[in-house]
Amino acid sequence: MKAKIAASALLVLASIAAVPAYAHHSFAAEFDGTKPTRLVGKITRVEWTNPHSYFYVDVTDPKSGKLINWGCEGAGPGALSRRGWKKGDLKIGDQIVVDGYRAKDGSHLVDARRVTLPDGRSVYGGSPGDGGPGDNGTVQGNLSGTGKS
Amino acid sequence: MTQPILQHLCQVIYDSQVGTAIRESDYAFSIIESVHVLAITLLVGTISLLDLRMLGVVLREVPVTRLSRAVFPLTWAGFGVMVSSGLLLFWAEAAKNYVNPAFRVKLILLLLVGLNPLIFHTSVYRRVSEWELEHRSPWRARAAAIASLTLWSCVVIAGRAIAYF
Amino acid sequence: MQVSRWAFAVVEMVHLLSLAALGGSVLLIDLRLLGVILKGESAKNIGHDLGRVLLVSLTILILSGIGLLSEEAMKCYFSPAFRWKMALLASSILFYFTLHRRALNRAGTDTPPELAQRAVAVVSMLLWLGVGVAGRAIGLI
Repeated sequence: MKAKIAASALLVLASIAAVPAYAHHSFAAEFDGTKPTRLVGKITRVEWTNPHSYFYVDVTDPKSGKLINWGCEGAGPGALSRRGWKKGDLKIGDQIVVDGYRAKDGSHLVDARRVTLPDGRSVYGGSPGDGGPGDNGTVQGNLSGTGKS
Repeated sequence: MTQPILQHLCQVIYDSQVGTAIRESDYAFSIIESVHVLAITLLVGTISLLDLRMLGVVLREVPVTRLSRAVFPLTWAGFGVMVSSGLLLFWAEAAKNYVNPAFRVKLILLLLVGLNPLIFHTSVYRRVSEWELEHRSPWRARAAAIASLTLWSCVVIAGRAIAYF
Repeated sequence: MQVSRWAFAVVEMVHLLSLAALGGSVLLIDLRLLGVILKGESAKNIGHDLGRVLLVSLTILILSGIGLLSEEAMKCYFSPAFRWKMALLASSILFYFTLHRRALNRAGTDTPPELAQRAVAVVSMLLWLGVGVAGRAIGLI
């Protein structure tokens, strides 16, 4: 019993240690609109949660060649559903492309503005009307203007 | 050794069906959260007016007991809704809340803010009939009013800060 | 340090605290006008006295709101919730200074409120509630 509790406690600690940041309420306050970042990697974990969703991808760092686990923040389940996402769209192990903006604090966290799934489908992930790049207040976001503008 | 057990408990709550359902819901979480904010407005908004009355800032002509009778049903209603919606939010976020410093501070503040009326009602408020007409209440009542205003403000601030950790 | 992150948070907190003060004063004024509470006191006096709290908190709300807006101008520009909020806010303020004020001034102390006064109280509460709900929706829609 003790071992079980200790193990679950460890698990919790490990999962918490892996989370770069929990929540925010303004794109401008948390993320740097001048630092567009493209991540290509495999999904390692998905948190389909309120108030924000998170998913994690393993990305090979071009400089060191090391694998780095990046956190990607998106809107909550309600807003994502309205944009045509489904919880099952993100599958662990899938290779995806994430276009986003890096966190101001320099951690390995991006605000995921657009995610390209393995089937080529592009989905918009920014928080609803958070004012970040590409946000035009609609459920689709301004996908064409995202990432590279 | 109590900490990991408490944390384990939070994880169990977090992983429960209801907790997960709220956390992953399309609408429920946002609605509960909004109701929580409204309830806080109701609670803090009404109790702070009573505090301001005792400090002699507003409604000086209204006897303290008359105002408190008008305000308390609203305050308690706000309190009830705040606690129940707060528990639902905790259910959905327990494991995250456990490690959140702002959440811990908020719990301590809630404890303190609960002690305040307890002390107030068993001390100076017992003789309220002697001073309820005074434009400015006696210093003990004013101290309680300032404590209430400060503590409730801090609860709101700590609550908002939870999102920033 | 992330100054802007915490600056935003602090402005949000100020916004929330003044929201509570506004909510409390609106509620007491309108419940009095409705004839539910403090029936022994004059609605006009209550409205006048708590109106100070209302206006002070409204001023702080608007100022802190401008602060929040400056961080999220694009979001607000596109947000239907924000447009609703501004429309409701303008209506609430206009209503407060016109029909609401008139209803308060005409309210007697001992007589139960007329139907028109009750209606004004209910409309006022709904308008202010609408501002708050629309405001919350800015971050959710």
